[in-house]
Amino acid sequence: MTKSIGLPQGTLEMLILKAISLGPLHGYGILLRIQQISGERLEILQGSFYTAIYRLERRRWIKGVWGESENNRRARFYSLTAAGTRQLRTETAKWTDMAAVVAGILSRKADET
Amino acid sequence: MSPLAAMRRLWHSIAPRTPGDVEEEFRSTLDAYQEDLIRQGLPAEEARRKARIDLGQPAVQNETYRRAIGLRLFDELGGDIRYGLRALRRNLGFAAVAVLSLALGIGATTAMFSLIYAVLLHPFPYAGADRIMNPIMIDQQHPDEYSFFALTRSQLDEVRLASPVDSVLGFNASHMEITGGALPEDIWGVYLTENAGTFFGVRPLLGRSLLPSDANNGGRPVAVLNYRFWQHHFGGDPRVIGRTLEMDHAPYTIVGVMPRSFAFNDLTGVGDVYLPASLMRGMANGPSVSWLPWIKLRPHVTVAAANAVLEPIVREIKKQHSEVSAYHWHLALQPIIEPYQQDLGRTLTLLLGGVVLLLIIGCANCSILLLARGRTRQHELAIRTAIGASRWRIVRQLLVEALVISSTGAVLGVAASYWLARLPLLLSPDSFPAESVIRINLPILAFSVALALLCGILFGLAPALRLSRHDPARALPGRQTGVVAAPAKHRWSVLIAAQVALTLLLMATAATAIRGFLRLMQMPLGYDPANVMKVGIQLHTHNPGEWSRLQSREARAAYIEQIGQKIASLPGVSAVAVGIDATPPDADVQSSFIVDGSGDGEQPQARVILVGQRYFSALRIPLLQGRIWNADENTRGDFIAVVNRAFATRYLSSSNVLGRQLRIPGLTAHNRYQVASSQSTAWRQIIGVVGDARNDGVDQPVVPAIYLPYTVVVQPYAQFFVRTQGDPLTWLRSIRAAIASVASDQQISTSGFNGTFTLNEAIERDAQYSRQRLFSILFGVFSAMALALALVGIFSVVSYSVAQRTTEFGVRLALGAPRAHVLWVAARIALVSAAAGMVLGFALDSFLGAVLAHWMQNAFAGGSLFAAAALLALGALFACLLPARHAIAVPPAEALRSE
Repeated sequence: MTKSIGLPQGTLEMLILKAISLGPLHGYGILLRIQQISGERLEILQGSFYTAIYRLERRRWIKGVWGESENNRRARFYSLTAAGTRQLRTETAKWTDMAAVVAGILSRKADET
Repeated sequence: MSPLAAMRRLWHSIAPRTPGDVEEEFRSTLDAYQEDLIRQGLPAEEARRKARIDLGQPAVQNETYRRAIGLRLFDELGGDIRYGLRALRRNLGFAAVAVLSLALGIGATTAMFSLIYAVLLHPFPYAGADRIMNPIMIDQQHPDEYSFFALTRSQLDEVRLASPVDSVLGFNASHMEITGGALPEDIWGVYLTENAGTFFGVRPLLGRSLLPSDANNGGRPVAVLNYRFWQHHFGGDPRVIGRTLEMDHAPYTIVGVMPRSFAFNDLTGVGDVYLPASLMRGMANGPSVSWLPWIKLRPHVTVAAANAVLEPIVREIKKQHSEVSAYHWHLALQPIIEPYQQDLGRTLTLLLGGVVLLLIIGCANCSILLLARGRTRQHELAIRTAIGASRWRIVRQLLVEALVISSTGAVLGVAASYWLARLPLLLSPDSFPAESVIRINLPILAFSVALALLCGILFGLAPALRLSRHDPARALPGRQTGVVAAPAKHRWSVLIAAQVALTLLLMATAATAIRGFLRLMQMPLGYDPANVMKVGIQLHTHNPGEWSRLQSREARAAYIEQIGQKIASLPGVSAVAVGIDATPPDADVQSSFIVDGSGDGEQPQARVILVGQRYFSALRIPLLQGRIWNADENTRGDFIAVVNRAFATRYLSSSNVLGRQLRIPGLTAHNRYQVASSQSTAWRQIIGVVGDARNDGVDQPVVPAIYLPYTVVVQPYAQFFVRTQGDPLTWLRSIRAAIASVASDQQISTSGFNGTFTLNEAIERDAQYSRQRLFSILFGVFSAMALALALVGIFSVVSYSVAQRTTEFGVRLALGAPRAHVLWVAARIALVSAAAGMVLGFALDSFLGAVLAHWMQNAFAGGSLFAAAALLALGALFACLLPARHAIAVPPAEALRSE
């Protein structure tokens, strides 16, 4: 958790949805998974993480259930709801489209304009 | 689901997780992270620190949660409310005045609304009450005159079969006596067709309603009790069901008690007991009992459509009665609320107008107070702005404070309205349906909550917008630097002017009402009601042995005379007279008569009043000409008459009245309980003329009247007018004893038309009298409240501004300004705006005064404005000068030092 890439608004939520889509995780597990996927390049702490979790839960995209963690600690495990799965799909599609467009614009050479 | 559970559920849907839950999860994550860090080689203390820096403090996690799920607004509002309450507590005087100003207005408005709700919007407890109709026949020549009509049971069935009709109730009423005790007790029995239970759809308080099976075997002797009767006769005993009540010497089983709101009905008189229709025996001379119908229409049937269907049916039925078809009439179904709506609607609208004015004045007062106090809060608001509060945030804070005031006022007001709403019912009981029960219910609570919100916004918004506009840079340096503060625009002066204008309008209205009422009280009655009581007795028509003894005219008259003489012999009783339905200020119905020498075509009308010969002396009605009949003539009844002055003037042109002849063709017995003298319809000689005593209500001109001996048509009841020394009601016990010495089982009637009450009470029950009294008292109270509010408003504005300008006044005085001038400077703005308000008030009153007086049916409008204005001006002057005095009491040195 050292390198920082500033995250655009709403990205954190998408990342959390993606992390959970691979299987139910507790809060710390989500953090670890995101770091793992991103190759430890993301700085997403400083209090914004749980705000994102609460907001997702409020929108009923994820739901939390109390359970036992791998080292016998009580933890809340989050999984995607049906609405959450749909949301992840649309967000992913939107993001890929936009990334492609932006990347396309930025990669143009000067003589092509 | 209980309301508590519902609230818990609602809260759960807003905030699904408990604070403990949120915190536990966070700690679990925090711990996991911390352990990971330790495993990576950080010292324990360092790991703890880093985990908290990265993830956050557990203590604030709940706040994060609430903010994330959008509860922040609630939290802030909660804070605003707490802050507002604290601010109010710090400033108790201000809070008390503001809350009371609103509580008065909201209380009065809620009271009036609950009255309107109870009386006009929801007066009847019956299921589908808006579909219940009173069928009436309207005379086509005189559309204002309508009459009810009765049907036989088979005719009721005919109407019931018509397509727009859901069901039909037939009812009739009869005087009854509770027997079996020491003294019989008069009660009023209402007979209902046995479908009454389903027709009314009112759940009985105890037991059951009447059932169709009660008609079996010619009617089962069962009785359902009215709530009030149950209360006073059985003391509200819940074990009354199944007990026996002996009425008219026959046993009835009590099967039910109706709830308090059920008081059927205003047409025949509210029943004490409700009995199955099949029990009613024929009473009139006719072949069978007839029933007044109430028709309940099917849902979604319009009155017009129902009229069209029912008209031919009723016409067919009525063809058999020749007297009805004599004139042109048409049928109309009248919703049962309608008779009340016309008169009461106006009364209540007027009163509602009064309380709304009061509410507006109260709101204006709060606005004034907030504005005036706001200047002392500029500093605080400037600091809030300076450290980043947006204008909206400050407006919201001020609005929340206003709402705290208005809600507190509303709570007090609703509590007060519970009693206030009863006031009109107490003052004018006969103008309201017997079944209106005032209670605080959901629509009324919703109304007052809406009212509180509206008021809060109404009086809070202007000050909030104004106070939030301050430039912090100017306000912040603390005390204003200049000695003479640049006078800000006084928004409140407009409010004061408006308040004064509305107050003047209310006061003028009250003055008009009170003057009208005083005039009414001073109007000559033509008789002296003081210390006279009416005592009614009902003969025992249902006791065969006794009735046969009193059946003849002579025996009955002798019985009545004997009781009268016994009462007259009591010490403390100065006069006793007999009268039959002749209780002023009203008298019996109009009858046609023929006077000698008149043409055949004329049908002159007069009140025919049956009284004993001592009626005139007992009521102190002066004899103008001739003489009154003597005891012998009273016993015979025939050939003589006494008329009033109005009769003589109208029909006999005043000259040679004595000796003229008249006769009354309709003066015969109409049912088997009445007995007429042998020559009752023969020619009568006028032997005397008496003064005009009110006989058509206290405010109406006296109508022509013919007085005859009561023995002309004796009734199964009689009323004695007893003049006593001192309050007549204190003599009631000895009067009872005197009657018992003639006949031990002769009771005094206590209720209904034959009841026992003083003549002053009879005046108080007069419709016009009680209406005028209602307006006088309520508008008097309203205007007194409004006056108090307006004066408090002026007073507080001047006090605040004096307190704020202490330095200025000190300097003025130090520089040698005359005290009178300083006083004038201090009070000027308030005085000028009050004066402007008075001018506005005059203008308003000249517009509205006449309309209001007309609506109050007050004949004596106008001319009361100046007294009200003088009172208001004097009050305003005091309210200005009292606090302004402090301006000149400031020692200049002290004022300057405080700078």
